[in-house]
Amino acid sequence: MTATEEIQSAADQRISDEVLMSVRNIRLSFGGVKALRDVSFDIAKGEIRAIIGPNGAGKTSMLNVINGVYHPQEGTIFYKGKTGLMKPHEAATKGISRTFQNLALFRGMTTLDNIMTGRNMKIKRNFLWQALRWGPAQREESENREAVERVIGFLEIESIRKTPVGRLPYGLQKRVELGRALAAEPELLLLDEPMSGMNVEEKEDMCRFILDVNDEFGTTICLIEHDMSVVMDISDRVVVLDYGSKIADGTPNEVRANQAVIDAYLGVSH
Amino acid sequence: MFVLEVFISGLLSGVMYSLVALGFVLIFKASGVFNFAQGAMVLLAALTFVRFIEMGIPLWLAAIMTFGVMIVLAIFIERFLLRPLVNQPLITLFMLTIGLNYFLEGLAQAVWDAEVHGLDIGIEDVPWVGLEQATGLLISMFDVISALIAMGLVIILSIVFNKTKVGRALRAVSNDHQAAMSVGIPLNRIWVIVWAMSGLVALVAGALWGTRLGVQFSLSIVALKALPVLILGGFNSIMGAIVAGLIIGASEKLGEVFLGPYVGGGIESFFPYVLAMMVLFWRPQGLFGDVIIERV
Repeated sequence: MTATEEIQSAADQRISDEVLMSVRNIRLSFGGVKALRDVSFDIAKGEIRAIIGPNGAGKTSMLNVINGVYHPQEGTIFYKGKTGLMKPHEAATKGISRTFQNLALFRGMTTLDNIMTGRNMKIKRNFLWQALRWGPAQREESENREAVERVIGFLEIESIRKTPVGRLPYGLQKRVELGRALAAEPELLLLDEPMSGMNVEEKEDMCRFILDVNDEFGTTICLIEHDMSVVMDISDRVVVLDYGSKIADGTPNEVRANQAVIDAYLGVSH
Repeated sequence: MFVLEVFISGLLSGVMYSLVALGFVLIFKASGVFNFAQGAMVLLAALTFVRFIEMGIPLWLAAIMTFGVMIVLAIFIERFLLRPLVNQPLITLFMLTIGLNYFLEGLAQAVWDAEVHGLDIGIEDVPWVGLEQATGLLISMFDVISALIAMGLVIILSIVFNKTKVGRALRAVSNDHQAAMSVGIPLNRIWVIVWAMSGLVALVAGALWGTRLGVQFSLSIVALKALPVLILGGFNSIMGAIVAGLIIGASEKLGEVFLGPYVGGGIESFFPYVLAMMVLFWRPQGLFGDVIIERV
């Protein structure tokens, strides 16, 4: 087997044929602006799926539709074979976690507390038990604390555990945000430009974390990214959007060779 | 001896300020909004409470029923006022609470009435005999008991806020709505909880202040007393509301006694504001407020 084939077969084992999420004919408009025009694609269980496209292509809108921030005018989303519109907090309880393009962290809270909120819905005991810190509630709290510590160890952010996140540099804040999403032990992880605004070293770290998450926990990842080279390196399949429409869908190599994609990114003279 | 007496009674009346301030802090912590309607909520809770008692309902049942009314109010506020305004600028929400203030003042007086009602919750406003015999200090029993009630409430609230899932969710919501929803925190339910909690605080404050001043329209103005407490303690600290309440209570009484005579007296009403302003020069976030983090 050649090296490429080996990588390919490793990917085949990781990715199952099972479709985790299927997006069908989504149309979304804000007044006269058509953000998404009839977009369909699916996400297989275990893969790293990228959504790319030039500015204003509708990438973030797509992600917002997936986790229920926006409800599309037309189209359906099947998640684990079931359809139905979700609100963001319902999506979270069903195993869909996300990060945001412009960081959405609890700035006044520490790294630890931020990541702990990711486990909020895992805590079943009601607050009276918790207030008393007694018996089952105590045990549950320490279990969750352990899970959070694993995430902290995984992302190598032990040293900033007690720092309010508002004080951290941007790259680390992004990492904390990823940590919070991971703490929920999601089945589907949505990352909105996880590498924007990072320097080369931070980008490499983030790539490594994304690959490790996918590899170690088997988490399905759907990510939006601007940086083409990064996307091509880490994703299994890529959807390309332009002006709200899907113009290509396939493996990185297929997409790279696609004339419509080249035109969209480089621009064509009409 | 007299000084000590003034000091202690100042501390105890400070607890009452803390109570009102606490209602503000709760909502501020959970939504970043200064709830202008807190005074009206105190009035509504006190009026409802006193009218239930006048109907012959036992004290404890009246208290529970009034709390029920405040919960229903919280649900209405969330459903019809807050929900349509998710993700709007905070100033919009602040304006909303101003409107809510007038609405609740009107509602309270329309449903009940605008008379002055005496409220008797079974604690007499008389000196604590035991303490007087032991030390010679004249301290009102009512002050002591209301201070204990306030302290109990504060302890419960700080545990809920700092040690439980709901508390963490509340803090998360105040930091970022989008992010809170993305980790599975139902914004709507959290808002109902926090408004209901501040309704409970309003009820306790209303009952205690109402016993002292009589339940009447001016109860809603008591809320203004909380303003310097909030500035001094920091808008988002439960602990701050308590300590600042005590400082304000004690210092305004001591100030009246020692500084008052030089300026013709009557400084009690503005002294807290002066104190709060001086603290602002030194610590803009208040004594206990979250440190303001600004990355440039």
